[in-house]
Amino acid sequence: MSAAATAPTATSSTSAASRGILLMLLLPGLVALVITFLLPLIWLLRASFTSSTMSAFGGGDLTTQSYSTVLFDPFYWRVTWNTLVLGFNVAIFAVVLSYPIALFLARTESRFRGVLTALAVAPLLTSSVVRTYGWMVILGDRGVINSTLQSLSVTSGVIKLTNNSFGATVALIEILMPYAILAMLSGFGRLNAQLEEAAAMLGANRFKVFTRIILPLSLPGVLTAALLVFVLAISSFVTPRLMGGGRVFVLGTEVFNEATVTLNWPLAAALSVMLLVLFSSIILLYQRALRALEA
Amino acid sequence: MADHHVIIDNLVKTYPGAQKPSVDHVSFSLPRGEMLALLGPSGCGKTTILRMIAGLIAPTSGAIRLDGEDVSSIAVYKRNMGMVFQAYALFPHMTIARNISFGLEMRKVGRAEREERVRKALDLVKLTGLGDRKVSQLSGGQQQRAAIARSLVIEPELLLLDEPLSNLDAKLRDEMRDEIRDIQARTGVTAIFVTHDQDEALSMADRLAVMSAGRLEQIGTPREIFDRPQTEFVASFIGAGTVFEGKVTEHGLAMVEDLKELRFVGDAPLGSPVKLMIRPHRLRLLTDAGQPNRFSGTVEHIVYRGQTLTLNVRCGSRLLQADLPTHAGMLPERGSTVTLSVAPEDVTLVGQVSP
Amino acid sequence: MQENALLARITWNTLITLLYFFLLAPIIIVFIISFDTRQYLAFPPESFSLGSYVKVFHNAKFISAFWRSLIIGGIVGVVAVSAGMLLSLSLVRYKFRGRAAVNFLILAPFLVPHIVLAVGIMLVIAPLGLLDSYPGIVLAHLGITIPYTVRTITMSLMAVDTRVEEAALVHGASPRMVFWRITLPLVRPGLIAGGVIAFLISFDEATISLFIVSVKASTLPTEIYHYLEYSTDPQIAALSVILILISVGVVVAVEKLIGLRRAL
Ligand SMILES: Nc1ncnc2c1ncn2[C@@H]1O[C@H](COP(=O)(O)OP(=O)(O)O)[C@@H](O)[C@H]1O
Ligand SMILES: [Mg+2]
Repeated sequence: MSAAATAPTATSSTSAASRGILLMLLLPGLVALVITFLLPLIWLLRASFTSSTMSAFGGGDLTTQSYSTVLFDPFYWRVTWNTLVLGFNVAIFAVVLSYPIALFLARTESRFRGVLTALAVAPLLTSSVVRTYGWMVILGDRGVINSTLQSLSVTSGVIKLTNNSFGATVALIEILMPYAILAMLSGFGRLNAQLEEAAAMLGANRFKVFTRIILPLSLPGVLTAALLVFVLAISSFVTPRLMGGGRVFVLGTEVFNEATVTLNWPLAAALSVMLLVLFSSIILLYQRALRALEA
Repeated sequence: MADHHVIIDNLVKTYPGAQKPSVDHVSFSLPRGEMLALLGPSGCGKTTILRMIAGLIAPTSGAIRLDGEDVSSIAVYKRNMGMVFQAYALFPHMTIARNISFGLEMRKVGRAEREERVRKALDLVKLTGLGDRKVSQLSGGQQQRAAIARSLVIEPELLLLDEPLSNLDAKLRDEMRDEIRDIQARTGVTAIFVTHDQDEALSMADRLAVMSAGRLEQIGTPREIFDRPQTEFVASFIGAGTVFEGKVTEHGLAMVEDLKELRFVGDAPLGSPVKLMIRPHRLRLLTDAGQPNRFSGTVEHIVYRGQTLTLNVRCGSRLLQADLPTHAGMLPERGSTVTLSVAPEDVTLVGQVSP
Repeated sequence: MQENALLARITWNTLITLLYFFLLAPIIIVFIISFDTRQYLAFPPESFSLGSYVKVFHNAKFISAFWRSLIIGGIVGVVAVSAGMLLSLSLVRYKFRGRAAVNFLILAPFLVPHIVLAVGIMLVIAPLGLLDSYPGIVLAHLGITIPYTVRTITMSLMAVDTRVEEAALVHGASPRMVFWRITLPLVRPGLIAGGVIAFLISFDEATISLFIVSVKASTLPTEIYHYLEYSTDPQIAALSVILILISVGVVVAVEKLIGLRRAL
C-alpha cells in the first residue's frame, strides 16, 4: 500500500509489482462485499428452491414448493396487494408533503437555509424504531390525538389510529419524508430563480410560472423521490409491524415472520425474491418514465 | 423630455437591512427607439435599476413611466417588457422554438400566428431552422440569439439586457455587439442595456448613463461622455487621463501645480479650485513655439505599442502619460527632455475641488 | 396586487411551518413524554420528572445493549473506513480491467432492499454459527456501510492534487512517507466523515440486526423493538432521547472538528 499514493493514474499495463499492490488494496473490501452482499443474494436464491421441510442447507432436491405457496396461496396475494397499496400510499403522500419543503429549501435565500435543511433531514439521524415509537405515542389509543380529542369532548370513545394500516402508513410517510426531501433537493439542480424571472417577464403569472417552469423542471427529482420512498416502503417491516400491532400483513412483516418465528427459511427466501422482483420491475418502470420525461 | 418614451424619475432602492441605498435618486429618460447603456463598475446598482424597471423588484421610491404612465404598480408579468439575462435563462426543458413561443402562449396568441412569429424571430436572429434544437445543443452565441429572439417576439415596450455579452468569448463578443446593435435598429425597440465594459457601451449605445455607487454621474452621447466628462469619476472610468488640480486665475486659465499655467475651455468662476483632465492621445510633441500649454519634462519610460508610443514624462512631481503616433518622425528616447503641448479645447474641466 | 402577494406569502409560510411540524412531531412528542411522571403512556404529561431516565439507567438490558451497540458501531466504523480507503485508492489511482465491475459491486448494495439482504446474510452466516454473535452483526453491517465510506473517501481522494504528492517525492520523500505524511492527512476529513456515517448507520440500524441477533449480541435498536412489542411506557421515550442526543452529538462534534460540508 506504500506505493499506492504515487502509482501512475492511467496505465493499463501495470507492472507485476503494482498489480500485487492493487490486489492487496482490493482484497479486503471485495471479500467483505462478497460475503455480505454477493453471497447472500446467491444463498437467497438457492434457499428459495429448497424444501421447507428440510434445513435450507441440507442439500437435497431442488423444489419450487415455496414459490407455489407464494404464487398460489390467496393469503400471499393479499400480502402482495397490501404491500403495493402501502407503497403507493406512502410514496404519494410522502412526495406531496415533501415537495413544498424541498421547493422552499431550494429557493429560499434565508440565512437559516443551512439550519432548515439540517432540520428537514435530521430525522435520518434517529433510528426508525425511535420514530415509530413517536408515532405510537401520537396515534395510540391513549396517545396525543386521542387524549386531546377526548379532553375537548369531541369524541368519547377511542379512535383506532394504530394497530391498523392507517397508523403504519402515516408513520412510514413521516419516516421516509427526509429521503424524499434529499432526493428532490439533489434533483432540483435545473431550477433557478432566473428562469422563473424570465418566465414572469414573458407574461407568466405565479400559477403559470409554477405549472410551466417549476413543475416540469422539478419532475425528475419528484420521480426519483417517489421511487426511493416506494422502494423503502415496500421493503419495510419494523414500522408496519409495530404500528400494525401484528394486524398489518405486508411482504416485509411476512419475511420477518417466516425467518425468525416460523423458521421457514425457504419461504422467507422466496418472499424476499418476490420482493426483489417487484423492486426491479419498479426500477425498470422508473427508468422508462425518466426517459420519457427527458424526450 | 416629458414626451420621452421611457422616463425614470428619482428612482431609489434601499435593500432591506442595507444602510445605504443601492440606487440613489436616479433619473433619466429615453426617446422611442433609443439604445441606452447603463455603464458603471460592478456593484454600482445597474442591475438593480434594470430589475426595478422590469418589475422584478419594487423601488423604495420614485417612478418608472412608459408613455407618461407610471408602471410601478403593474405586476412584472403584465408589463410587457423583454429581458435578456446574463446567463440567458433559456428554459432547459423546452426546444428553442418553444422557448421563443412561450411569451406568445402566455398572451394566448393563436397557434398559426405563433408559429409564424417564432419563425420570423428565428430569422431575425439568424437561427433559421434551429427551432427544434434543445437548448443544450446550441453554442453560447446561439443561445444568446435565442434569448434575444424570445424577448423580442412579444414586441416588448422596452428591451432590457443585463450584461448580455459577458458570457461570450472575446471574438464572439465583438460579433454579437454589432449583431445586437443591428437587431435593435431594425426592430426599432427602445432598449436599455447594462454593462461594465466602456468599449461595449461606447460602441453600442446611442447614449450612455454612467453610474457610480448608486448615483448617476453623467448621461450623454458616447462623444460627450468621452470628450466632455463632467466629473472626475467619469473622466477616469472612461478612457485614460491625467487629472490636475488648480485654481482659476483668469477666464479659461488656471494655475496648476507642476505645470504652471494651463489653458482650458469651460466656465469656472475666478479664484475657484478646479480639476482639469488631459487625455494621453491629445498630447503632442511640440513642433513650433508660441503655443499655449507647453510643459517640458524628462522621459522616464517608453513603451512601444505598434501604432502608438506611450511616454511617461516627469513634470515636476507628476508623471504625465502621452500617447504619440509612431509615424511622427523623430521619436524621443528614454532620459531625453521633451516638450509636450495640448490644445486648450482638449483640457477638460472635470469638476470643482471641494475646499 | 400587493395584498394578494402578501396573502400568498403568509399561506406558503404557514404551510411550510406545518409540514416541518409534521416532520418533527414524533421527535418532539418523544422528548415531551420522556419527562412524564406516570408509568404508562398518556398525554399531556402530568408533571415533570426525570424518573424515566433514572429507570433507563437502571435497566441492565438497555445498558448492556447500549455498550454493545457502541462497540459494534465502533468496529464497523473502523473496518468500513479501512476497507473503504483501500478500495477508494484502487479505484481512484489505478486503471485496471474489472474496475467497472468493482465499482458496480460497491454501488449495488444501495440498490437492494435491506430486508432482502438481511435474509441473505442470515442464510450465509447461520451455518457458520455466527448468528447472534459480534462477528455476525459486524459483517452484516459492513455490507451496508462500505458503499458509504467508499463514496465519501473517493470524493476526498479525487480532490487531492497528485502534483502535491509528486512534489513530496521530488523533495525526497519515499512513496511510503508520501502516503503517511501527505495523502492520508489530506483525505482525513473524508475518512472521519465516512467513519461517522458508518458508525451512525450501524448504531441506528434495526432491520438487518433483527434478523441476525437475538440475545447475546442484541443492539439497542433491537432491544427497543422487542420492548415495544409489549409496552410503550415513557422509559422508551427517555431512551430514545438519549439515542437522538448521541447521534446529534456525534454529528455536531464532526461539524465542529472538520466542518460537515467539507466532510460530506
Ligand atoms: N438582493 C439584494 N439584497 C441586498 N443587496 C443587494 C441585492 N442585490 C444587490 N445588492 C447590493 O446592491 C448593490 C448594487 O448591486 P447591483 O445592482 O447588482 O450592481 P451592478 O449590477 O451594478 O453590479 C451592491 O452593493 C449589492 O451588494
Ligand atoms: Mg449586475
